[in-house]
Amino acid sequence: MALGGGVFVVLLVVTALAAPVIAPHDPVRQSLRARLAAPTLSAADGKAHVLGTDHLGRDVLSRMIHGARVSLLVGFAAVVVGGIVGATLGLLAGFRGGWTDTMIMTLADAQLAFPFILLAIGIIAVLGPSFPTLIVVIGLSGWVTYARVLRSQVLVLRSREFVDAIHALGGSVARVIARHILPNVLSSLVVIATLELARAIVLEATLSFLGLGVQPPTPSWGGMVHEGREYLDSAWWISTAPGIVLMLTSIVVSRTGDWLRDLLDPTLRGE
Amino acid sequence: MHGLLPFLGSRLLRAAVALWLVSTVVFVVMRLSGDPVPLLLPPDAPRSEIFRVRAELGLDRPLPVQYVVFLGNALRGDFGRSIHFRQPAFRVVLGYLPATFELGLTAFVLAALVALPIGVVSAVRRNSPVDQVTMGLALVGQSAPTFFIGILLILVVSLKLGLLPTSGREDWRNLVLPALTLGAFAMASIARLTRSAVLEVLRADYIRTARAKGLSEALVVAKHTLKNAAVPIVTITGLQFGTLLGGAVVTETVFAWPGIGRLAIQSIYNRDYPVVQCTVFLSAVLFIVINFCIDLVYGLLDPRVRSS
Amino acid sequence: MAEMTRRDVLKIAAAGATAALQGVIPSPAHSQGTQKRELVVAQGGDVAQFDPHMSTSSNDIRISFNLFDNLTSRRPDGKLAPGLATEWKLQGQTTWVFKLRQGVKWHNGDPFSSADAKFSIERTYDPNTKMRVNTVFTTVDRIEAPDPATLIIHTKKPDPLLPARLGFYGGQIVPKKYLDAVGPDTFNQKPVGTGPVRFVSWTKDDRVLLEANPDYWGGRVDFDRLIVRALPEMAPRVAALLKGEVDLITQVPPDQGERVKANAGTLVSGALYGGLYVLAVNSKRPPLDNPLVKQALSLAIDRETIVKELWRGRGVVPSGPIAKGDNHFDASLPPLAYDPKEARERLRKAGYKNEEIVIETTAGYMAGDRPMAEAVQAMWRDAGVNAKVELVEYSVRAQKNRDKSFKGLWWSDPTSTLRDPDGMMWRLLGPGGPQDYWRHPEFDELGNAARFSVDEKFRADAYRKMTKLSLEHFPWIPVIQPYEDYGLQKHVEWTPDPLQQLEIRRFNFKFRRA
Repeated sequence: MALGGGVFVVLLVVTALAAPVIAPHDPVRQSLRARLAAPTLSAADGKAHVLGTDHLGRDVLSRMIHGARVSLLVGFAAVVVGGIVGATLGLLAGFRGGWTDTMIMTLADAQLAFPFILLAIGIIAVLGPSFPTLIVVIGLSGWVTYARVLRSQVLVLRSREFVDAIHALGGSVARVIARHILPNVLSSLVVIATLELARAIVLEATLSFLGLGVQPPTPSWGGMVHEGREYLDSAWWISTAPGIVLMLTSIVVSRTGDWLRDLLDPTLRGE
Repeated sequence: MHGLLPFLGSRLLRAAVALWLVSTVVFVVMRLSGDPVPLLLPPDAPRSEIFRVRAELGLDRPLPVQYVVFLGNALRGDFGRSIHFRQPAFRVVLGYLPATFELGLTAFVLAALVALPIGVVSAVRRNSPVDQVTMGLALVGQSAPTFFIGILLILVVSLKLGLLPTSGREDWRNLVLPALTLGAFAMASIARLTRSAVLEVLRADYIRTARAKGLSEALVVAKHTLKNAAVPIVTITGLQFGTLLGGAVVTETVFAWPGIGRLAIQSIYNRDYPVVQCTVFLSAVLFIVINFCIDLVYGLLDPRVRSS
Repeated sequence: MAEMTRRDVLKIAAAGATAALQGVIPSPAHSQGTQKRELVVAQGGDVAQFDPHMSTSSNDIRISFNLFDNLTSRRPDGKLAPGLATEWKLQGQTTWVFKLRQGVKWHNGDPFSSADAKFSIERTYDPNTKMRVNTVFTTVDRIEAPDPATLIIHTKKPDPLLPARLGFYGGQIVPKKYLDAVGPDTFNQKPVGTGPVRFVSWTKDDRVLLEANPDYWGGRVDFDRLIVRALPEMAPRVAALLKGEVDLITQVPPDQGERVKANAGTLVSGALYGGLYVLAVNSKRPPLDNPLVKQALSLAIDRETIVKELWRGRGVVPSGPIAKGDNHFDASLPPLAYDPKEARERLRKAGYKNEEIVIETTAGYMAGDRPMAEAVQAMWRDAGVNAKVELVEYSVRAQKNRDKSFKGLWWSDPTSTLRDPDGMMWRLLGPGGPQDYWRHPEFDELGNAARFSVDEKFRADAYRKMTKLSLEHFPWIPVIQPYEDYGLQKHVEWTPDPLQQLEIRRFNFKFRRA
């Protein structure tokens, strides 16, 4: 299982990196005369449209392969953004306590209290869709889990009082974090990051599906499902091919996260 | 009952602060999103007309003033008049609420009705093909993107098999696909939770005793396990409410379901501030109330919770 | 050929109009008939306003033009016919005298008179009423109603198009007495008109129910009830037609036309849009201030392929900024040319240094806007233009439209409200107009002179010169004049309207009875 998941993710990364080499066609090259062509293995020039063409005559397979770049780039970057923000706020809440803690945790409550996707749509409507906007918005949607884990770890350590002791002896906070906190939470962070990656990829696809993703003609999976929607009854392949890859990615990555959790950190089960 | 009141008090305070934060963020984001007036007027409307409409809507006042007015009115349940519908925003949102309730409730009931028996059967027939297939499907349901589940259902059930309509809201046939789409995640979660809850109970001593007494397997399962499985299901209702609302936004868009999720998206695009603010405020209140009730139930059932 | 046939049908329908007014309907010679007494229409959106002066949106005017009458009536064949006015004439240069129809009753039984007509037109531009059609009658100076059957309109300057203005939105006549009694809010919820159907009820986001006005002066309509349903998504709208749940649907995309045609009981009927789909240009932004660059952009668009493939032939390639079917449309002009080699040449001559040229497109605001933008982008890139597409929301487009802050090009679907260049190119591109991004002294002089001239020969000459100028400077890059396609049950006999009205009066609609 884990091996299969790992292989899948590695394959996906390789596909994304080598997209220009692997893809049989230029993903943005149109051919209006060959639009909505059904999947076929036969081709005059040896370069068949294995998964058919879309409403502008572009090769669906090639767009799908290039789409992996958007999904992974936004996914990984959002996880990093969410992780940095979440970790910082979590550590701050844990160390400072008091008002800081209350404010940060109330912010977390507030964020969980309403559908984040509405806020995401609002922000993207203001700033216009672009890679940085997408990454920051999706990243910010996932900081809470990191913050909670780090905060509780700090609280555990503080309750043991040796943190304060180190402090008293002149040890720096950075040292405490590096020596005592990170090693304890590293496995949790890896698990959370993996699960967050799956969530980020799905959120990016959802926003693209709603027409708020990367700008055309850059292909993304959610955007392709969106574009193919109008042609579901006549050219089903436009939507289904990228949708299935997206679904597989989401399942494999989140299963890998589950598996890592069982392996590394059974205490996270309840989260 | 000792300690329950302070516990509730602090929860209530935090909920109020959360609500205020949510409203403020939405207020700021919506104001930044731009001027709704050009959408209301024909493209050749004179400038004077634009200023007049803006003044009429109170949009010419400084932002802090608008904010104070908004907060004061929101506390009284007044969210202003919808710019697009020219009606009180609260009345507009109330008009769309039943459709979302209908969808959400159906999704949840459907999820429970399907998932409970599946969970029980999977546990009783552990590692059988039935168990493996249903738990495999549950994994798919838990991680597949909502919008794509919807698209697949439309493609297969509506377009290829011609069994159910693709969208709209007329009779029960329109409800099936969106409810399945929205409920997929809850269904999968409930099935998996039920299965593990039942498995745990089956291992317990009193079950073995019951069996030894000669009670039938079915009766044992029915009597003891469902009661125990109910608790995690109640929990998931509360925890997943936010997810469910987020899911409703997507599901309602895919199926053109006239609920508050779709209303919220369209109102963002229309820059209909009052309706967006009212929708978000109401859903946050609902979420907080439901969680509060769950806390309350737990607090009553299990005094240990209060201290945490 | 199919188009020829349809246009012939159209002519016949128009010729039959007078006969139909007297209730003489030629007997149907078709096999597919119906017993229906109820007409069900599905359109792409719900009604927002019933008050006809509060809206110009097509979802609203499809209903308001049937609840109300205008003094003049714009027919689907493009001709102006009598409405509540039976005849009109120009006295001198600026005085129009209208003879009004007698014996007409409002839906609530009140008699219609010239006081209503005077009240209605004044209402549109009265600053206190805040109407959305307040720019329609800016040429009107004052109105007199000397007796119940006569209306006299004085214009500030000669206005040859006044009868045309009265025939479109803003020109619907509303009841003075009822409006004074109930106020605008109630009127907007319970409208009362003189039209062929009466308001019964409205279920928001679902349907409007209307019933036949039995005493209609133009003859009772060929059904008892009219139901207009809102089905915003294309797929369910088409499905409802194919299943026979509705009789008529609006906005059938070209890619769906085959399905509708392939179905035994349904057909597609289209009207050539009374307007154009153009890429409007912000000519103030370099390099778009250079006419050579704009000429190159126009030459690099393969419009024929766009029409043939993306639109499946449901449109025509424009020849200039005047829509086919309008006054002064010059049939001798060739369709706009596609010549990528010449385009490269002009870019070279213009000294184009690969500056980014942005198309800001909406998705779904106009039929095919986004795919067309992407197709044009690819064509421009092939010609060596550094073209970029940016997706914007409707609201952003509206804002940019108002601020005149488009980065380069954007889609516009100018409607020829008067079926005359004055109501389209001059209304939008003229000084101070909503698309005023380019000025040329000769163009402005001609446009102004043509607006206030009652000499049609002079006007024809002016618009010919203005067309020539606009094909050199391209304030608009016209791309297609599409068909507006409707899906019909075969038991429906109805001619679509180029200006998105839903004409269901006796002369234009009937069921084929079984």
